[in-house]
Amino acid sequence: MTTSSTPAVLVENVAKRFQRGERHDSLRDLIPALLRRAGRRGETNGVATLDRDEFWAVRDLNFQVDFGRALGIIGPNGAGKSTTLKLLTGILRPTQGEIRMRGRVASLIEVSAGFHPDLTGRENVYLQGAVMGMSRREVDSQLDSIVAFSEVEDFIDTPVKRYSSGMNARLGFSIAVHVNPDVLVIDEVLSVGDMSFQKKCVERMLAFKREGVAIVFVSHNMQAIGELCDEAIVIKGNPRFQGAVGEAVTSYLRLSGDDSAGVQGDGITVTGSQLVDPSGQIVEAAAPRQALSLQADMHFSVPLSDLTFCLVVRRATDYLTVYDGNITSQELGLGVIEAGSTVRIRFDHTAHLTRGQYLYTLGVYDQREGRHRIWVVPAAGLRIDEYRTYGGVADLDVETRVETLARV
Amino acid sequence: MTPAEPSLAAPLPVGRASQSSAPTLRTAPQSAAAVRDPQEVRVIGPQERTSLFALIHELVTHRELIHQLAARDIRIRYKQAMMGFAWSILMPLLIVGAGTLVRVVVVAMTGVALDRTEIGAVVLKSFPWAFFAGAIGFGVGSITANLPLVTKIYFPRSVLPIAVVVSNLFDLAVGFVTILLVLPFLGAKLSFALLWVPLMVVLLVVLAAGLCTVLACANLFFRDVKYITQVLLTFGIFFTPVLFNNVQFGPRGAKLLMLNPLAPVFEGLRLSVMQGHNLLATHSQLMRGVTVVDWQPWYLLYAAVWAFGSLALGLLLIQRTQDLFAEYA
Repeated sequence: MTTSSTPAVLVENVAKRFQRGERHDSLRDLIPALLRRAGRRGETNGVATLDRDEFWAVRDLNFQVDFGRALGIIGPNGAGKSTTLKLLTGILRPTQGEIRMRGRVASLIEVSAGFHPDLTGRENVYLQGAVMGMSRREVDSQLDSIVAFSEVEDFIDTPVKRYSSGMNARLGFSIAVHVNPDVLVIDEVLSVGDMSFQKKCVERMLAFKREGVAIVFVSHNMQAIGELCDEAIVIKGNPRFQGAVGEAVTSYLRLSGDDSAGVQGDGITVTGSQLVDPSGQIVEAAAPRQALSLQADMHFSVPLSDLTFCLVVRRATDYLTVYDGNITSQELGLGVIEAGSTVRIRFDHTAHLTRGQYLYTLGVYDQREGRHRIWVVPAAGLRIDEYRTYGGVADLDVETRVETLARV
Repeated sequence: MTPAEPSLAAPLPVGRASQSSAPTLRTAPQSAAAVRDPQEVRVIGPQERTSLFALIHELVTHRELIHQLAARDIRIRYKQAMMGFAWSILMPLLIVGAGTLVRVVVVAMTGVALDRTEIGAVVLKSFPWAFFAGAIGFGVGSITANLPLVTKIYFPRSVLPIAVVVSNLFDLAVGFVTILLVLPFLGAKLSFALLWVPLMVVLLVVLAAGLCTVLACANLFFRDVKYITQVLLTFGIFFTPVLFNNVQFGPRGAKLLMLNPLAPVFEGLRLSVMQGHNLLATHSQLMRGVTVVDWQPWYLLYAAVWAFGSLALGLLLIQRTQDLFAEYA
């Protein structure tokens, strides 16, 4: 039926419709509701119709994940990320489309949901293990490893109501990673525990990937997405972008600020910002050391002077700041900018950057008021393509030469 | 979903693992697909029509979960040792006390002498009733009580009410030990008819599981089902031959009473244990000069249809609606 070329996760044209507002959840309210529905039945015949009080949580979802690959899902709150995960785990069923999951699916969503506070850690391991589909024998053989990973050895026979929330989550997480899944669905749980435990979790996830587990990962932690995922989807109701992680992060940040209407600040509106090359062409990808210019058109609705223009460049995958510089309007020789005027500001620069995805952020600071009047996040995104460096961020313009000093 | 076999997760050859950490391949896709090739596929589509057989199979594969959930309930009850013991003994004893009181009052009013076997019948039936009432009472809220779990992790939701029934079955087992010690002194007959007892228990358990499943599902959508159920349970004891026998209702009343699907189970227990009656034969009794037919063989079939029918209905109902659970939460 299946071959090894079939992906671990296959999502085809999936859409999920939800009902908004109040539900009748008692028999007392059922009768009037039934009468209403009976009166409406004749009108709805298609599958994909939308009633007045219904909405699409996600639509047009299409993606696949192969074994040994990780897909990140990013998007603003309420964009349908959790709905997508619930569809993948079968908790929700799609209104349209189809999902195919191969093998054992484990979800790292609320990893301690099955815990009972009055039971000991050990008892809860067996309970939660069973909830996640492990057999008694599996839990027996993995128990030591689960306890060791969770770092709660000393308290394993203490009721979990005495645990700190961190211990609780660590134990839950530890059970979940011992399920031995083929597909792993993760929802923002890597923020569990302290730094060292988080590191351990990320390492465990990477190990899963090496073992061939397919991973779907939802997070607001762009760094974690960058570390773990091979590609990412940006969703906001429907998929907005699908591709390399860095570009996805740029696209996601663009989503938060609506491009078409411009970015509204206090007294300043940035009507457009882009990265261009010297010939004025819009640039999305460039080679290292290419001459570039970030230009932004600003409309002033109040007269302003004594401004500082800020340019920040960050690496999209981990938010590493690679440039953060300011210039004042005095230095630029600008006096008062009158209300109603529009100015174009250009930051000419050279991208001494190595391979990766970068984000440009633009800000205007009011020196008199002592606050920022506008931040444009991101003002532009840039992908640097080169295949010579292994890591790092700065292109040091390295020229490598070899001289033979002595010959045998 | 049956768990994938461990062979799928065979450890990576060392060469491959070290290769993937080589600097030149760091951003290159690691093609490890050959390592994993599970054959089972779960298709999640808008309509999932699963056969009853598949649902029962799913329950069987999740027996460890049922066991763990039931063990959780029992452990928590017995953590407070007094409470736990009281639950399995005290509740039925209260019912026995009430039943005896009713009988004594009847004796005082009618002047008919009280037979010790009648007390024995009350003792015998009190424990199954306590089991049934306990299972239904806790089971009706079993899905709503576990909503955090239900909305986060997928497993067949029917395991929740069924686990409640299993945990109450544990109390019934404790109760039966008590019965075993007492009944010989209250006129129980040692006969081959005792072999009917396990079947009666099976019918009772299946019926309880079926009703629990239906009610737990209904309670999710209509939260007042729980309260209605409690009221019905309180009244139920008057429409079920627990404190009395069906013969006391006269010829027509007895027949009417047996329409209650629980009645054949309780009367079957009484007749097989207290009268040594083979349930494949009709049984009648003389009551104030009138012959009352208190058992007919088809009652067995009637109760079985109710029991297995309600379980089938419950399983299908939960399966058809379980994708709504997360939405209603």
